[in-house]
Amino acid sequence: MGWRQSLQGADVPMARTIYLNEPLRNTFCKNSISTAKYSMWSFLPRYLYLQFSKTANAFFLFITILQQIPEVSPTGKYTTLVPLLVILVISGVKEIVEDYKRHMADKLVNSKNTIVLRQNAWQVIPWKEVNVGDIVKATNGQFLPADMVLISSSEPQATCFVATSNLDGETNLKIRQALSETATMKTEKQLSSLSGKIKCEEPNFHFNSFMGTLYLKEKSPISIGPDQVLLRGTQLKNTEWILGVVVYTGFETKFMQNAVKSPLKRSKVEKVTNMQILVLFLLLLVMSLVSCVGAIYWKDRYRAEPWYLGKKDYHSFGFDLLVFIILYHNLIPISLLVTLEIVKYIQALFINWDEDMHFKGNNVYAMARTSNLNEELGQVEYLFSDKTGTLTCNIMTFKKCSIAGIMYGDLPSKSDDGAKDLSQSPCFISDAYEFNDPALLQNFKNDHPTKEYIKEFLTLLCVCHTVVPEREGNNISYQASSPDEAALVKGAKKLGFVFTARMPNSVTIEAMGEELTFEILNVLEFSSNRKRMSIIVRTPEGQLRLYCKGADSVIYERLSEKSLFVEETLVHLENFAREGLRTLCVAYIDLTEIEYKQWLVMYKKASRAVRDRIQSLEDCYDSIEKKFLLLGATAIEDRLQARVPETITSLLKANIKIWVLTGDKQETAINIAYSCKLLSGQMPRIQLNTNSLEATQQVINQNCQDLGALLGKENDLALIIDGKTLKHALHVEVRKCFLNLALSCRTVLCCRLSPLQKAEIVDVVKKQVKAITLAIGDGANDVGMIQTAHVGVGISGNEGMLATNNSDYAIAQFSYLEKLLLVHGAWNYFRVTKCILYCFYKNVVLYIIELWFAIVNGFSGQIIFERWCISLYNVIFTSLPPFTLGIFERCCSQESLLRYPQLYRISQTGDIFNIKVLWIQCINAVVHSFILFWLPAKMLEHDVVLQSGYTTDYLFLGNFVYTYVVVTVCLKAGLETMSWNKFTHLAIWGSIMIWLGFFAVYSSLWPTIPVAPEMTGQGNMALVCPHFWLGFFIVPIVCLIQNVAWKSIRNTCHRTLLEEVREMESSGVQVLRRDSSQRSKVEEVNLQRSVSPRPCQVVFRNNSVDLGAPHGYAFSQVERAVISQEELVRSYDTTKSKPQRTFSATFE
Amino acid sequence: MKRKCQDYESRLPDNTAMKQQQLPAFRLQLSANEILSGFFAIGLFCLGMGIILLLSAKSIREVEINYTAKCATCAKLREDATNFDKECNCSISFYLPQKMEGNVYLYYKLYGFYQNLYRYILSRSNIQLVGTDVKDVRNCAPFKTSDNGLPIAPCGAIANSMFNDTIVLLYNFNSSTHIRVPMVRTETAWWTDKYVKFQNPTFQNLSSAFAGTAKPPNWPKPVYELDEKDPGNNGFVNDDFIVWMRTAAFPNFKKLYRRLHRIGNFTEGLPAGSYSFIINYNFPVGRFQGQKAVVLSTLTWSGGSSLFLALAYLVTGAVTLLASFSMMAVHLKLKERKTFFLQ
Repeated sequence: MGWRQSLQGADVPMARTIYLNEPLRNTFCKNSISTAKYSMWSFLPRYLYLQFSKTANAFFLFITILQQIPEVSPTGKYTTLVPLLVILVISGVKEIVEDYKRHMADKLVNSKNTIVLRQNAWQVIPWKEVNVGDIVKATNGQFLPADMVLISSSEPQATCFVATSNLDGETNLKIRQALSETATMKTEKQLSSLSGKIKCEEPNFHFNSFMGTLYLKEKSPISIGPDQVLLRGTQLKNTEWILGVVVYTGFETKFMQNAVKSPLKRSKVEKVTNMQILVLFLLLLVMSLVSCVGAIYWKDRYRAEPWYLGKKDYHSFGFDLLVFIILYHNLIPISLLVTLEIVKYIQALFINWDEDMHFKGNNVYAMARTSNLNEELGQVEYLFSDKTGTLTCNIMTFKKCSIAGIMYGDLPSKSDDGAKDLSQSPCFISDAYEFNDPALLQNFKNDHPTKEYIKEFLTLLCVCHTVVPEREGNNISYQASSPDEAALVKGAKKLGFVFTARMPNSVTIEAMGEELTFEILNVLEFSSNRKRMSIIVRTPEGQLRLYCKGADSVIYERLSEKSLFVEETLVHLENFAREGLRTLCVAYIDLTEIEYKQWLVMYKKASRAVRDRIQSLEDCYDSIEKKFLLLGATAIEDRLQARVPETITSLLKANIKIWVLTGDKQETAINIAYSCKLLSGQMPRIQLNTNSLEATQQVINQNCQDLGALLGKENDLALIIDGKTLKHALHVEVRKCFLNLALSCRTVLCCRLSPLQKAEIVDVVKKQVKAITLAIGDGANDVGMIQTAHVGVGISGNEGMLATNNSDYAIAQFSYLEKLLLVHGAWNYFRVTKCILYCFYKNVVLYIIELWFAIVNGFSGQIIFERWCISLYNVIFTSLPPFTLGIFERCCSQESLLRYPQLYRISQTGDIFNIKVLWIQCINAVVHSFILFWLPAKMLEHDVVLQSGYTTDYLFLGNFVYTYVVVTVCLKAGLETMSWNKFTHLAIWGSIMIWLGFFAVYSSLWPTIPVAPEMTGQGNMALVCPHFWLGFFIVPIVCLIQNVAWKSIRNTCHRTLLEEVREMESSGVQVLRRDSSQRSKVEEVNLQRSVSPRPCQVVFRNNSVDLGAPHGYAFSQVERAVISQEELVRSYDTTKSKPQRTFSATFE
Repeated sequence: MKRKCQDYESRLPDNTAMKQQQLPAFRLQLSANEILSGFFAIGLFCLGMGIILLLSAKSIREVEINYTAKCATCAKLREDATNFDKECNCSISFYLPQKMEGNVYLYYKLYGFYQNLYRYILSRSNIQLVGTDVKDVRNCAPFKTSDNGLPIAPCGAIANSMFNDTIVLLYNFNSSTHIRVPMVRTETAWWTDKYVKFQNPTFQNLSSAFAGTAKPPNWPKPVYELDEKDPGNNGFVNDDFIVWMRTAAFPNFKKLYRRLHRIGNFTEGLPAGSYSFIINYNFPVGRFQGQKAVVLSTLTWSGGSSLFLALAYLVTGAVTLLASFSMMAVHLKLKERKTFFLQ
């Protein structure tokens, strides 16, 4: 597993030396990349190797070689070679087409342009020509062409921002800062006179580590760390330009080193099929052995071979065995693999073409990156979903607030209307989604008693943050490392409190047109321990004031007794939390000068502390953050993608268990679980947060005991576990208990997981529960689980492509999963399994006949059919019905599948394709072959069937049988087909007509064309023979009428849900419109069948269970970055204009 | 690694029913009534057809005489291959109680002769038989060449083992008058065999065409002397030879030998009365525990006398009717469920 390796560290020697401005001394790999499988020259050997490493193909190659031995083959020398070649050519063409696409994609990447310093001037060159040691200039918004060390940038303090979502899936921007020694080097002259070298480690796949040393001439060596390194695949943001020295190129970049090839995944159906092919092979051996024994017996009976054969028999047992293996080898369906390949390829095209999975917002279609797993989509039992970017849009909007005990923004009806119109593009900001409550402004303007509070509240939102405004003409956009803050500032702006400018020591806001400047004295930074951030300002009036925003729990314990609206706000907070909104409480306190001065002394001391500086700073912050006066609370919506709650409800109905695995914080995960209806208000939540193995074991056991008999059943419980605890919970001893507990809960949320843990938990469920798992995610941190799960789905269309590139299916929206699984998955499962069953059936039917014939011909190895008819059976005469089954079969309409997600369980349980079903089908085939041989045999036994008294030969019988086989097998396909479209008709009737036509033509080729002398005249004689047509009618009927009768009786006595739904569809009851309120009988039945979540009656005797109302606090902010937030915001002066600056705000 | 947006644009689908999987489709979903009436119809049709077939099979007259035991002395003689040059004739009398009307066909029938053995069927040269290369004996092992190295024509095991009894039918008009029943010895083979698959090499003289070849070891005379009276029936295009070369499917098989020449007394067919077969007994069957028989038969529209197809239709018809009755019973019992039968 490539992913795992990439996470486990290894010591890397410092082995690379890059000479600055000496291109000839830097010889490293090219920057061009190739992800293609084949090149022009390697195609043939590699392709053949791959093909013949498949067991089935190797088997047919073996047969082909056997056939070249003289006299051993009853079917001629080339009858296996030709179909094998046809099949190899078909899949070869497919490979070429796919590889061509990869070549084109590589070419596109390799020919992107970038700017490089060459011969003392900036030149535009394509990516593939970038070399190690080049100095590259990248501008805002560009993707970086190679890994490089930052020299300098346009920004203050030589910083720059990069979006790393491509690599690690994290959406906040990363700050990189150049070394101060190089920060001033900006002109061509300076750069070209740069001389020295960089020593660094060998290429490796660790994103977050880099060790290097810069040796500049006449200066002491300086060490380079990951904070100076910009990686290929990242995007420059909010930075006008940067300059960097390339250190790794092409395949040696960390991005490419991480781009492990997705492991080859095989579906469950495929595994069963391969197993069955092996069993068929055994059957083939058994049949051959039986025939050999039969031959010995026959010879024994006649003591020797009869005189008319000439010489005595000189063939050994082994020789006979080979003859019979060749005779029966077609029992193994030669065309099955290639048929499946093509069928699945087209199924994948259907997924790609699906307009319902077309995200018009950025014009992205669903993409099936592999077609191996199409039917696996119909069998998913466990769904592991990432949160950020998958369930959510990763867009925060200020949605509601509570000011002075009054709630604003609670306008459900309006947002509902908006949701309908915008369901196609929910991730684009529109006013309908933002805070939009006129009452707030009215109260403010009409001198409502709470006016002062409203003003203070909005001022706080404008001032208390670390956002940097960007002015572009009259537009102000905000960039922030915290999406929550950006949302709040934007929300305030909309309400007339506009944050306009930031200077190193002050911020300027426009409150209802009035310009106010607040002097910023201190920024009391956020940390996840503190759960709050504060800012100390001097108001325009000269008052010292501390503004604070943070979690309800930390704010409430610091409230002064004089604080008002405490109760009301608490109720509102609970409401917000129940809806899944992220809440923050805001409060303030006026400080006196003396108080502040005293504190400032403390603060300075703490900030100079050598040991535990962070801790002492936090203690210092704590000492002033007290006696707050509550202003209210904000509610930010971490916007869900469109139709996420509906999709989740529908998937739950389809008996798919959904686990949310996120790297995000517990609070955030719980919020989202509420808003997407995975959690409901009264659901007890088992929270596992422990630090040691013992504690984990103990709390899990305690919970298991409390559940008692309900353990192992699905309860209306939620399990919430964090990464630290999970590490212990997945320990070998605890694993089983933990899994039992987790499987007893309806919802499982795992928070703060590392990518490896995500993969691990998927792996545990996959191995222990033996269920089909699906992982869906959008970021690089999901790659592990996407690769581990049986089916990996990536959310595409965002900038991060790593998840998509490692996924099996890429969709643009989480909600498309519904159609992908319930419709495509279920359909494909039906199609593929029917196709496989049918292929087994048709081969067994035809080739068992050889065994029946062997009984009458003394086990001599004679074939009853003409040899080319046999080899064309799979290639032409019965090749079309499997395709129509595999491509066009529909168990019921997609509307029904979406309306009754319960139908998914048919494919999920796999009841229609397992070993038992397969063998029933094979036995059925044997019965059919028995009828198909013995009926015509008895018909022709008396030899005189032609009108002029002519007698017939063995091939005449063979052609009768063959024709009846083709007819029966085609009609059987028709019987299996649940919905016939024009292609089905074409395939079924067409195949029969093709055979009859071929029969007529093929019988008159000899001797003009030197093939098939034994067929001469067969067509003319058979096609006018009354017996032929009498048998043509009766033989297929005798075969198939039993199947029809059996099906009819079964459907009468025991109807399945599918049949009920089909019946309803065809009876024209139009209850199938999705908005129909009228419930049919069937639907009621279904509703009874579906598991209705029972309220949980468990009495928990441990304190890990949270039965109370949910808290809604959540806040995200970069912590412990290269430079502190305070330093960063103080470095900006946005009143000075920057020339030619094109800014794209981070969270817009 | 990077798939770009342009890539998506290039595969914009046109929104057709085919691509959206919305093609109109017919549901194979039959109601109980449809299924039941279908079953009834099939049952009745099969019964009717069965009766017709039965009647027509009954109208056929067929006489089969097994002469292995009856010509025991000859059979014994042929057990020993060294006696190949000794002639042996055998006469079998029988009485035809009813006349055989219309065309009458004379067959010989072999029991226990496996013409369907792999190496037997393989052992022939179609290229030789079509007359293009009379010396092509590629697949004919073990009868490729004679002892002196000449290629055998016709080569192979099939040709070598050709049935070589001669059968003559006598009509015993009265105890003293025996009329030889006129028989046609041509047009017993398929047209395509006679005119396409089997051709003599093109030479003015048939015997010179076969110069440089040897006769099959079991044959008393070379291929160009099979029917010296009728050049159209001599050599490879000899009907008896062609008929034999079409290898039968089963170890017991009939081969068409002669057709009644309907002239004189036999214009109507074979009149009732006493007959006898004179058989020149050459073909050894004892060595493979086989038996030989002669068959006289008339034909109907569907060929020879076989009850099997008639029975197959009757049984299928009856079973289908029975099945439909029982299904109807089930259906009526569960009628309140408004059942649909199929799928």
